[in-house]
Amino acid sequence: MKNTAHQRSALLILVGTLLFSSASASAHHGNSAYDEQARVSIKGVVTEFVWTNPHSQIYLDVKDKNGSVVHWGVETNSPAILTRAGWTSRSIKPGDEVTIILCPAKNGAPIAYIGSGDPGTKVVFSNGRELEFKDKTAQ
Amino acid sequence: MALLAQNNTATPSFDPHDLSGVWQLAPGGGGQGPGDNFPALTPWGKAKYDANKPGYGPRAAPGGNDPILKCDPIGFPRILFTIWPFETIHIPGRILMLFEGQHTIREIWMDGRKLPADPEPSWYGYSVGKWEGDTLVVETIGFNDKTWLGAQGQPHSDQMRTIERYRRVDRNTIEFNLTIDDPKTYTKTWITEPRLIKPRPGVEIQESFCVASEEEEFARRIREPAARQTGK
Repeated sequence: MKNTAHQRSALLILVGTLLFSSASASAHHGNSAYDEQARVSIKGVVTEFVWTNPHSQIYLDVKDKNGSVVHWGVETNSPAILTRAGWTSRSIKPGDEVTIILCPAKNGAPIAYIGSGDPGTKVVFSNGRELEFKDKTAQ
Repeated sequence: MALLAQNNTATPSFDPHDLSGVWQLAPGGGGQGPGDNFPALTPWGKAKYDANKPGYGPRAAPGGNDPILKCDPIGFPRILFTIWPFETIHIPGRILMLFEGQHTIREIWMDGRKLPADPEPSWYGYSVGKWEGDTLVVETIGFNDKTWLGAQGQPHSDQMRTIERYRRVDRNTIEFNLTIDDPKTYTKTWITEPRLIKPRPGVEIQESFCVASEEEEFARRIREPAARQTGK
C-alpha cells in the first residue's frame, strides 16, 4: 500500500496510514492529543520550519486525495534535542519536498507529532536524505 | 610527561565525592516524574490532584493545565525527570546543578550551614548538602506549591521537604534515591523508586529556555487545534 501510494507520484499526495503494532512502551512523549501508536505518512512542500524552545515545528502544504491543499503543522523536539540528533536550524527549508512519518492528532486535525519518544517518526527528503531522532551522543 | 605511569587496575578510577559532569536519569530522563506509586493523599492533596489535568500518565487527556505549558518554572524535583540532561559543577562551598531544561541553575550549599528556619517560598526551594560517607545527602525546604512533582500531575504543598541521596558507585553510575515528605499532601512519607543516573559524554548543556511568547504561538498553532474536541 505504501509503495503504491508513493508511485502515484505527483507531489503532495497523502500517502497512507501505516499502523505499527502497538509497542506501547515506546510511546513516551505522552502528549495525549496524539495517537502515538499510529504512524501516518504525508508528503508535501515545506512552508516554514520554526526552531523554537521548547517545541520546534514544521509546517507544510499537502495535497489530499481530491487535490485540495491542506496545511499541516508538525510538532517536534526542542533545538537541544534536535541538535544532538544531527539537526540544525537550516536542516529544513521552505520549498523542500518532504515525506514525514508522524503520529497524527486524535481529533483528525492536520496536526501531528514527530520526535525522540516515538520511534519511526522522521522526515525524508526527495533525494533520500533523512532526519530522525537518534541521539548521536548516546553511548 | 609522556611517560606517566599506567594504573594497573583495568577499571577507570573515579572519585566518589566528585559528581561533576553531564548526567541524566536513566533511561532518557526517568519517565517525566517520580512515579504514580505515591502514598494516599490527604483531602487537601486529593483536591489538588483532582484539579491537576495532566498530559501524561493514567489521567492523561488532551489540553490540560500543566503549569509548564505556560512556561512556569518546572521546579524541583520534576526538573530531574525531564528529557533534558543536567551538569553538576563543584565550586567552593556549593554544588551547582545546571539543568538544560529551562536553562536552570540550582544551588546546593555545602559549607556546613543549616537550613533556614522559615525560608520564603520559591520554585526550587533552599538546599543544603553534606557527605555521609560516599553519599551526598541534600535536604531541601522552602518550596512554593505551584509546581507539579511530575508530568502526571502529582501535587505538593509549601510544606514539602525533600531528601536526595546520590552515591557514585562506579565511573558511569550514580545511585539516586529521593524521599518526599509533605504531610499536607500525602498521609505518609513518599520514598520514591530508586533510580540510576548515567553520564552523558559528549553532551554540552544548551539553552533550552521556555520562551513564553514562542510557546503562546505554538499553543495557538499546534497545541490548541490538536486538543480541540471535534465530536468525532
